[in-house]
Amino acid sequence: MTKGVKICLAAVGLIFAISLVLTIKFLSPTGRDASKEDVWVEIEQDNKVLYRLNLADEPDRVFRVSAPDGGYNEIKISDGKICVSDADCPDHTCVKNGWLRYDYLPIICLPHKLVVRFCEGGDSE
Amino acid sequence: MSTKKLTELSILTAAALIVFVVELRFPDILPIPGVKLGLANIFTVYAVYRFRANEVFLMVLTRVILGAIFCSNLSALMYSLSGAMLCLAGMLPLHKIIPVKYLWLCSIIGAMLHNTGQILAAMAIMRSPAVLPFYPILLTAGCIAGAFTGICAQLILKRKLPSDKKQ
Repeated sequence: MTKGVKICLAAVGLIFAISLVLTIKFLSPTGRDASKEDVWVEIEQDNKVLYRLNLADEPDRVFRVSAPDGGYNEIKISDGKICVSDADCPDHTCVKNGWLRYDYLPIICLPHKLVVRFCEGGDSE
Repeated sequence: MSTKKLTELSILTAAALIVFVVELRFPDILPIPGVKLGLANIFTVYAVYRFRANEVFLMVLTRVILGAIFCSNLSALMYSLSGAMLCLAGMLPLHKIIPVKYLWLCSIIGAMLHNTGQILAAMAIMRSPAVLPFYPILLTAGCIAGAFTGICAQLILKRKLPSDKKQ
């Protein structure tokens, strides 16, 4: 084993270990519970906040967010949970993602530049 | 470029495309864009060790563009293209340092660079760091997938070029 291979191996091992730890941290479900406390979520498109909602107060409903290019994402709120229930983007990753359940990982629709994520307590709607 | 070389590269590209299209039929492992096995990269890693840099570049460019057209997802072209180019930029110089025996290591580094390229492209398109938390997840998955494709390429390469074993 040459020196170059050893350096590469050490670097790969280090990056793998760090990303594994972060993956486990990011994939732990959120402790927020809308039936007990205020849970704020943010819906952003193209870097602009469109909605700031408190899931504890929101009635069950379905509404559409239209993308600048004419597409849409259908947001569903039910029992204090939020998800993207339908979209006309090509990959449908946002729909497959299901309910928003991670503190660190937002629901993202890359083609429509849409982000749905938890945020800290809001003062304004 | 000789006809023999041209034919060889074309067949490899075609085979990589078939694998790519077949892999699209696999169900998603995680609902995260970009997490997949990347079986077509077996051919990329193989080509890196078998052909010259410009030949590999042409082969990968053809595969990425045709792959995006075949799966009619041109919006994903930006991510795969930036990923593939960064991956090649790392693997082409690295394959001179890393012998065939440790090819899987080169493949893992390539996979990591591929993920880096994808995330950078996504950040550039979204103009926001919202996708950044997905980076460690992509890296973890990329390491495992990269090791797998690397081992596959190593097995093929050993059969093709027994003389390389001694390197």
